[in-house]
Amino acid sequence: METPHNLSLPQSTAIAEIKDAAVHIKNLNYSFGRGDLCKQVLYDINLTLPRGQIVIMTGPSGSGKTTLLTLIGALRSAQEGSLRVLNQEIVGLSNRQLVEVRRNIGFIFQAHNLFESLTAAQNVEMAVELTGEFATKRDQATAILTQVGLKDRVDYKPDALSGGQKQRVAIARALVNQPRLILADEPTAALDKKSGRDVVTLMQKLAKEQGKTILMVTHDNRILDVADRIINLVDGRLESDETLDTFVTTHDPKVLDRRMFIL
Amino acid sequence: MLPPFSRRTPLAWLNLTHDRRRFVTSLSGVGFAVLLMFLFTGFKNALYDSQVQLINQLNGDIVIINRLKNNMFVPRAFARRRLYQAQAFPGVEAAYPVYLSDVRWKNPITQQARPVRVLAFNLADPVLTLPEVQANLAALQMPNTALIDERARAEVGPREAGIITELADREIRIVGTFRLGTDFASGNGNLIMSDQNFLRYFADRGPEESDRSFATVDIGLIRVSPGVDVDALVAQLQAALPNDVRVMRRSGPGDSLEAQEREYWRDSTNIAFVFSLLTAMSFVVGIILVYQILYTDVADHWAEYATLKAMGYTNRFLFGVVIQEALILSALGFIPGALVGRLLYGGAASVTGLLFQMTVDRVLTLYAMCFVMCLISGAIAVHKVQSADPAEVFS
Repeated sequence: METPHNLSLPQSTAIAEIKDAAVHIKNLNYSFGRGDLCKQVLYDINLTLPRGQIVIMTGPSGSGKTTLLTLIGALRSAQEGSLRVLNQEIVGLSNRQLVEVRRNIGFIFQAHNLFESLTAAQNVEMAVELTGEFATKRDQATAILTQVGLKDRVDYKPDALSGGQKQRVAIARALVNQPRLILADEPTAALDKKSGRDVVTLMQKLAKEQGKTILMVTHDNRILDVADRIINLVDGRLESDETLDTFVTTHDPKVLDRRMFIL
Repeated sequence: MLPPFSRRTPLAWLNLTHDRRRFVTSLSGVGFAVLLMFLFTGFKNALYDSQVQLINQLNGDIVIINRLKNNMFVPRAFARRRLYQAQAFPGVEAAYPVYLSDVRWKNPITQQARPVRVLAFNLADPVLTLPEVQANLAALQMPNTALIDERARAEVGPREAGIITELADREIRIVGTFRLGTDFASGNGNLIMSDQNFLRYFADRGPEESDRSFATVDIGLIRVSPGVDVDALVAQLQAALPNDVRVMRRSGPGDSLEAQEREYWRDSTNIAFVFSLLTAMSFVVGIILVYQILYTDVADHWAEYATLKAMGYTNRFLFGVVIQEALILSALGFIPGALVGRLLYGGAASVTGLLFQMTVDRVLTLYAMCFVMCLISGAIAVHKVQSADPAEVFS
């Protein structure tokens, strides 16, 4: 009688892990357009992102990285396959329901996309207001801006901040509501080496401290070292899915050199 | 407890005012559209209001006029005995004859002859209660004297006491002024004189002009005793008096001299059509201006609005921002438009002698139009926000 029990144990753990995963994708296909103009961009994607993992997605341009990111971010509606984000199936959800899902995700873009007319704190408060916590919004904004090292820039408007500082405000805005999943699209592309480094280190620190899952699309080889895992997307298919160490050893020395240079 | 919206970051306000220069330009754009609407409706109203300003100054509840006098231009008088007949009715306190005539006035500076209108009445009758008229009654008793309207057009020359010039080729001395204003029937302005002087000028005007006497009256003015039903008295008088006269209320809606005059100018001229068309054009210009402002804001902040959508803000929230911007523009743009409009009303009134009235309900009506104008622009611009696709910010 004990054997079946023992046998089922690893399986149920696996199921629990999947259930608890931040993102769980199964047999996902996606195409743009319809009819004759229909162009498939993602083929049979299977991917699970457990909690607390920092995952970097690489791949040549046009490989579908951004599309996959926007699907996970509930910014597009997927039609085929299964896509569970934070334990909710989002394939087939209405626009209104997608908006609800997005509120639990932090987005960081290549451009900071801050309102020039709002101060750093107000930009962050815009995110807090989504939760209805009007009374504490200022405190929350100040706290998170302090965490990203902008304590003395709280009431500055974006045009008085440097590129790296703006991106840090954008990160504060993405993180202030404690999202369990953070999606970042080339967050360092517009930054110089040092600011870019600071930004990813900050993201890594916050992710580790608070157990957040981060999925980051990047071409920036200088920051690959923060990843727990690197996935590579080519022509809409998952080409490889490796830990950082394997990635480093299997990839060409040029990439390695660059990384070494940064380290 | 504050309502939730006041605790929100005032995004609409901050976005609009962030660029001061652009904000001022936007407001002046809206203000200009408002000003155009003020001017065009102002001229329309002034042309109508001016036609009845004399009627509104007459001191009586009921008027009797010749049946053929369907507007103040028609120089038809009626027999004065009709007034005596009316005086016999219970409820009629007094009946005053008013004499009107158009005549040439010589500008004392340029010597150019200009048509003016003369109003005359027995100085013992309180026909016009204008304070300046009451103050000058003694002076008007002198022969060949008159009061001139300060608001007569500049073409008549200086409008002040002491002027001596010619009226109907006869010397006249101006002993004072009053303030009334011009209308279509008054030519370049109004003069007021006693009925005795009226006879001096108009009893014998030569072969081409009809002679005037106290036998005929242009407007009969009836004062009603307190507590009398005016409408019933009008009906009673109309039924009893011969059909060569019309009896009606002096002012008010329905059958009144004021309403008849307004109606005549409305039906026989294109004033309403022309000025309503111009107002509508300004309205459309306003819509385009405000749309342009809102569209630019949305287009410039497209990525930011899309980011808000990605964060979980709904389309409805963004609509709200655009509509709020529209309303802020309507309110703040209206104020300078109305103030400049007010100044221009004053200027236009002094040049034309027309009556430019900025009444509360007219201002409110125009604000409602401005509000709707901005709302329509907002509704069009909202489509641009709707098209902000958060998925496109990634890439």
